[in-house]
Formats: sequence, C-alpha cells, structure tokens
Amino acid sequence: MTVTPTLEGGLAIEPGSETNWEILEMIAKDIGRPAHLAESLAGLMAEDSEWDEYVVPDLTVSFDQQSSYVAAVVKDARKKGQSAIFIKPIQAEKWYGAVNQARLALEARYKLSELEDFEDGAEELRSAYFRDRFYLILQSMLLEYVIDVA
Amino acid sequence: MASPSTKQKQKPKTQKTTPWNVIVLDDPVNLQTYVTMVFKKVFGYPQEKAEILMMEVHTVGRSVVWTGGREKAEMYVQQLHTWHLQTTMEKAV
Repeated sequence: MTVTPTLEGGLAIEPGSETNWEILEMIAKDIGRPAHLAESLAGLMAEDSEWDEYVVPDLTVSFDQQSSYVAAVVKDARKKGQSAIFIKPIQAEKWYGAVNQARLALEARYKLSELEDFEDGAEELRSAYFRDRFYLILQSMLLEYVIDVA
Repeated sequence: MASPSTKQKQKPKTQKTTPWNVIVLDDPVNLQTYVTMVFKKVFGYPQEKAEILMMEVHTVGRSVVWTGGREKAEMYVQQLHTWHLQTTMEKAV
C-alpha cells in the first residue's frame, strides 16, 4: 500500500494487492454501526439534556454519511479494477471522519492505546493494531497535505 | 383617610443566568493537529489559543474551552461531537 500526495492537492492510495484492498474495505467494517459513536458521545451528557432524542439522530446521519461514502468509493474502485483511489481536497473531511470513526471504534473495542504486547495467538488484536496504524498514517497525511488546518 | 400606599415599586430583577462550561475530554485517538483545527473552526480561536487549549486537554485530561449561556453551550457541544471530540458541559461554579 502506498499513499502519496497528488499535484492537485489530494492523496492517491494505491493498494497494490488484494489484501490491501481488503484493509481499505475494513474502514467501514471497523466503524460498524455509526450510531454507536453518537450514542457514546451522548453518554457524556446529563440525562435531562435529551441529547439522545434531539442530537443523536443528526449525529448518526452525519457519521453514517462518512462511513457510507468511503465504503462506496472503495467498493466502486475495486469493482472497476482501478489501481488507485484519489482523495480530492473536497472529499478529505469525509475520509478523515470515516477513518477517525474506525480508529475510535477500534480503540473502544481493543483498547489499543493501552496495549503493551501481543499475546501469542492474538491474531485479531494484531490485525486491529496494524489497521489502526495504517489509518493513523492516512489521517496524518490528510492533515499534512490535504485538509486546510490553518 | 386612606394613607398613601407604602408599597414600593419593585425594581425588575435582572435574570441571572448561570454560565455553562463546555468541556473537552482527552482521548487517545484524536490527533493534536486535528483538535487544534477543530477549536479554530468551531470557536474561531486564533492558533495560539487553540493550541493552549488542546495541550490542556492532552496534559490535564480536560479543558474548559468555552463558557457562556446554556443554549450556545449546547450548540458548541453538538458541533464538537460532530467532529468526534469527547465533550460535555456543566454549570460554571
């Protein structure tokens, strides 16, 4: 997998192998149910805030749009046999959002930030760890080369 | 003879509204550059202030990023949730 900045101010992701395409497909799978993050954030609010009723539905729609968008782009690119996926600046926040959701979901599921070592046979955990590292690199490159942080 | 009313006209009380703090909590996922950017976008803070607040979140574990009326505080919390930041609000003491 290579990720490189493009002359148009975006990023190009070249998977280069079936395994790497599967990793890109895992972004949406790692997110799972977008409502989970919205509900988790609502859990920080006081019960009488009625956050669940008034805010969670809108947040869920927003998070679902990020996840669905990236899933559709990856699926379409793979189906068409493209060698690369291009992220234009206008699409960067959706990509960042989806990848961030995936990392938040992995952290919630595996507590990767507290991980000190892999136990023998912890293949699922190892795989989650390396996906998280890839997502982190993708996020860092989006912030460095594409998203206007100024 | 009726005595003049001694009832004093009461001054309208100024409605004291309790200010609310918008609080961002640390998490191990959101990147520092990203959190700084979000503070700038949501509150319009300059880079230096946004960085100071971000570092407070990172080192102390939480930071009061805004204080004011309840409705506006709720609006800011919702916006920060949209950007995936762990945010809550509480009455300012």
